[in-house]
Amino acid sequence: MIWMSLKKSLPEILEDLKINDEFKENIVTWRTIPEKEAKTVALPEDLHPALIKALHAKGIEQLYTHQKSAYEKIMAGNNMVAVTPTASGKTLCYNLPVLQTILTNPSVRALYMFPTKALAQDQKSEINEMIQAAGVEVNSYTYDGDTPANIRGRVRKAGHVVITNPDMLHSAILPHHTKWVSLFENLKFVIIDELHTYRGVFGSHVANVIRRLKRICRYYGSQPVFICTSATIANPRELAEALTEEKMTLIDNNGAPSGRKHFVFYNPPIVNKPLNIRKSATLEVRKLAGELLKNKIQTIIFARSRVRVEIILTYLQELVKHQLGPKSIVGYRGGYLPTERRKIEKGLRSGEIYGVVSTNALELGVDIGQLQVCIMTGYPGTISSAWQQAGRAGRRHGEALVIMVASSSPLDQYIIQNPGYFFSKSPETARINPDNLIILIDHMKCAAYELPFKAGEEFGAVGTEELLEYLTEERVLYRNGDKWYWMNDSFPAHNISLRSASQENVVIVDQTDVASVKVIGEMDRFSAMTLLHDEAIYLHQGRQFQVEKLDWEEKKAFVREVDVDYFTDANLAVQLKVLEVDKLQTSKAVEMGFGDVSVRAMATIFKKIKFETHENIGSGPIHLPEEELHTNAAWISLQQSLTEMGQDRLEQGLIGVAHALNHIAPLFVMADPQDIHVIPQVKADHNEKPTIFFYDRYPGGIGLSEKIYGSMEHVFSETRKMIIGCECESGCPSCIGTEAINQTAKRDALKIIEACFPAFYVDKEVPSCH
Amino acid sequence: MSLKNKLNRLKPYLSGAERAEKNSSLAPSNAIDVPFQERWEEEGIFPYFFDQNYCLVREVKYPLAQKHGHYRFEDFLTAVDIWNHTAINHPLSARGFQPEDLFFFDTETTGLGGGVGNTIFLLGYASVSGDQLIVRQHILPHPGAEVPLYQSFLEKVNYKTLVTYNGKSFDWPQVKTRHTLVREHVPKLPAFGHFDLFHAARRLWKHKLDRIKLAVVEKQVLGVERVDDIPGFLAPMIYFDFIESKKPEGILGILKHNEIDILSLVTLYAHLTFQLCGVDPGRTRMETYEVGKWFAAIGERAEAEKTFTKLTDSQDLTSFHAKQALALQAKKDRDWEKAKQLFLDVADSEEELLSLEACVELAKIYEHRLIDLQQAVFFCDKALRLSLQVRGKAKLSGETSGERLKKRHDRLTKKLAKLS
Repeated sequence: MIWMSLKKSLPEILEDLKINDEFKENIVTWRTIPEKEAKTVALPEDLHPALIKALHAKGIEQLYTHQKSAYEKIMAGNNMVAVTPTASGKTLCYNLPVLQTILTNPSVRALYMFPTKALAQDQKSEINEMIQAAGVEVNSYTYDGDTPANIRGRVRKAGHVVITNPDMLHSAILPHHTKWVSLFENLKFVIIDELHTYRGVFGSHVANVIRRLKRICRYYGSQPVFICTSATIANPRELAEALTEEKMTLIDNNGAPSGRKHFVFYNPPIVNKPLNIRKSATLEVRKLAGELLKNKIQTIIFARSRVRVEIILTYLQELVKHQLGPKSIVGYRGGYLPTERRKIEKGLRSGEIYGVVSTNALELGVDIGQLQVCIMTGYPGTISSAWQQAGRAGRRHGEALVIMVASSSPLDQYIIQNPGYFFSKSPETARINPDNLIILIDHMKCAAYELPFKAGEEFGAVGTEELLEYLTEERVLYRNGDKWYWMNDSFPAHNISLRSASQENVVIVDQTDVASVKVIGEMDRFSAMTLLHDEAIYLHQGRQFQVEKLDWEEKKAFVREVDVDYFTDANLAVQLKVLEVDKLQTSKAVEMGFGDVSVRAMATIFKKIKFETHENIGSGPIHLPEEELHTNAAWISLQQSLTEMGQDRLEQGLIGVAHALNHIAPLFVMADPQDIHVIPQVKADHNEKPTIFFYDRYPGGIGLSEKIYGSMEHVFSETRKMIIGCECESGCPSCIGTEAINQTAKRDALKIIEACFPAFYVDKEVPSCH
Repeated sequence: MSLKNKLNRLKPYLSGAERAEKNSSLAPSNAIDVPFQERWEEEGIFPYFFDQNYCLVREVKYPLAQKHGHYRFEDFLTAVDIWNHTAINHPLSARGFQPEDLFFFDTETTGLGGGVGNTIFLLGYASVSGDQLIVRQHILPHPGAEVPLYQSFLEKVNYKTLVTYNGKSFDWPQVKTRHTLVREHVPKLPAFGHFDLFHAARRLWKHKLDRIKLAVVEKQVLGVERVDDIPGFLAPMIYFDFIESKKPEGILGILKHNEIDILSLVTLYAHLTFQLCGVDPGRTRMETYEVGKWFAAIGERAEAEKTFTKLTDSQDLTSFHAKQALALQAKKDRDWEKAKQLFLDVADSEEELLSLEACVELAKIYEHRLIDLQQAVFFCDKALRLSLQVRGKAKLSGETSGERLKKRHDRLTKKLAKLS
């Protein structure tokens, strides 16, 4: 008998990747990031002996440089933001000064805010370990939806450290501040961990929650120090300052060591030369992950969408079910219920689970222990995200492998062909717009509910008094003398969700078992249009469900478990109208604008796509009402209509440019790709010119298209480079997409770009087409 | 672009509170000028001035012989007297109190549920003083007048115990919340005892009332008739109207509503006392049973037994329930013979579920205490049959579940086989 299945170790796998033809052809870049020595300094001299004892018990004799800097800044009363990669001991940055202060003055209180409950749980264990090792009387509690009612009172009165999340702060703590008097009177520190997650709509909401927090602190006479920690982004200080409206000191002298990391860019082989179609990233990931999991190497696989997660999960569970058993590979994403997620986190830590397929939900610092390999199915959308995901591999031990498998999308192909771009400094900027009117007004209502507004008080940067007058006219507030009072019978925080663009989620109801119908998840309304329409295949923990009915009025999707060999993919038709022009600049070639627009979106049809071959095996209509969105948009219009091209080619060319831009643009605004959309119009309604629009996918806009307005030329120049760099002949999914079917589409797309910015044409460095 | 235009465009996204009409009249009120003062005074409502501001206070006095529902207010005095002369311990007992120590309390607010922004605009209470029942109501004339509101309220309050309807979880916490906002300007809130009659009503009448709202209890139990009453849920709307128009009419309706609520609390307390202490000849058998259960739950075993025993002389369902309860007490007292007798009675009841429970208990007593395996098997058999009949109608769990019964049955038959 021959022992075929000797398990390979990671170094052997690395060797394999280098020599095995099946893989090595596809490896475009192999970077080895060397290990980094620790930079340490002595413990602070004034540190409480109990804390020194606790640190020694954990084997910590010295601090990393950034930890010491943070300690000093915070003790001196400065607001600060520390930029720290995964596993660099960031929690000590705030735990040390907080505990030190509480030990010298037990009436001091600290509020810790984490973006998720899971992180809060983790941090509670961490700080409690420290408190126990120090043998001191400091109470730290989590306060979230899971906190039992009978201990809530204790947390409110006696918690030195209260660990919570922004949603809880928004809907449970601030509107009940009179129950938290001892916290607010003595609040000395507010810790905002994972700062980089507070961007876009969510960040804009949280900035307003912090405005409300600060308002209540002022009322009770406290003025807390804000301590933020962030993953690497381009503008940590700017973001921290925008979020807290406080001056910040930046700490970026990271002194933590790191192990050797192999970063591999993997481009799936081309299967159709003329069309430049590559093998699907999903299928390549299946192959790579399967190989690793068969060798029992703990691997995390990231995918960009929920659907993708479920598809990969199905593949992998099938692939290794005989070797490892189906329970050893699990999915992890936002739609799962909390208990399900806790179980997975535990299994990963204990090693019962070998593989996890996740959306970016696991990017954050949830402690899942040591994983050796990280595979990304496609570029995660931002450099910062990619590094966060890569940080999941090799947090604590020597060598680690990170494989990024490119999809055919233009952005992925751009990144994989410009490794320098990826490995050099992060260009991404996290943006928030706390003064988005929708968001601002919502939080002004909450703020007025919490405490009346006084004349002269400022809340946000746009005319507070004018907004208060508006709310008074709407009979939400009542003005008496120089104060505005909440005068409505509702509880405003309940109607406002910090997380989701639309305010109502669709609940997913599993009616497979008629006797026990149960809710298995939820989804925001806009996503539901394309993912939960009638007949859609919805995947949950690798199980397939078919939507039997989407009750749009009641916001419920009724699903039943099925077993089919396809998934569904839906189309969204979009119309756009300019309502008001806020900014305008014109040149001889183009007119660029920014302003308010109305976008109407309607889900039209869906396709059924076969799992293995990805062929289209059927389609059907979707009957859902049109959704209208009022938002901000930036646009660029050609002054001349390129008449020599003809209407048809112009249209195709614009579609091509829009496709490419749609993928490149999010790169420059650090947005999730679905937060910003690009659509072309051959003859825009407002100026009758060929136009490309970029709009924010949130009512009122969150500053993304405004950023694009300011860097239009740069975005176009990068897009042009990407199209030119693509190997295809006349357009492919990796550059201008396949919707433009003309042979000339690629050339026309470039012509349009060059017509917009004639300067590009002059310094044209590469011939545009083969 | 103007903010207003933007706001109007975004209106559909702005959540909540859309009301069409717009005629905002926001004359800042002169602190000492009381709009419609004469009209208020006609109704016996007078301003209370404090700190450049005012609130409104209404006071009404009733003779104790006044009837409200089935009772007179003086019956409340009797109730306090009963508690002071009985050995019965009970959470609602007024032992050690004078009638004057209790105050019957209810609020009206601008919204539902807890939360800082839910404003209390009416604090109302009643208490006995000499030969009168005095009702006092403190009205918030506009937001911002909370300092005089709480000042006037706290000046008058010198009682020991609150009597409310769901005040433990709603009214009183909300008073604390709103008081916190003005705590630097007004006296502290005193510490009170608290009788929450909502919980009592739920215990006694959930068997016959679908909803335990005070209005329902009034109508079905206390015999209180409301004429032209304004439903409580309209109170916020009426108040919002009032602060715009300042016209007293709407508020007068709410005051009436709040007053009846408070008066009903007096009647309800008297009625509950008579129920609990067994002095109400009209107490139904079901009510007697619920009273017995309550005593059992709070550990007043002697009182529970006495109450249940009153029910055992009949053959109706309540009687079987009472016997079951007595049997369980006997079992706790390890009085197996008595427990057996009572369970045997219950086992003959027509009510399958009740009988099933009794059979299981009998099987256990015969097996472990009286050591009569034949009998034990007999009742286990009967229990099994019953569990099959009941299945589908009720959810069986624990010892009455078919699975556990089968196990018991198997064990018993094995034991029996070994012996023979």
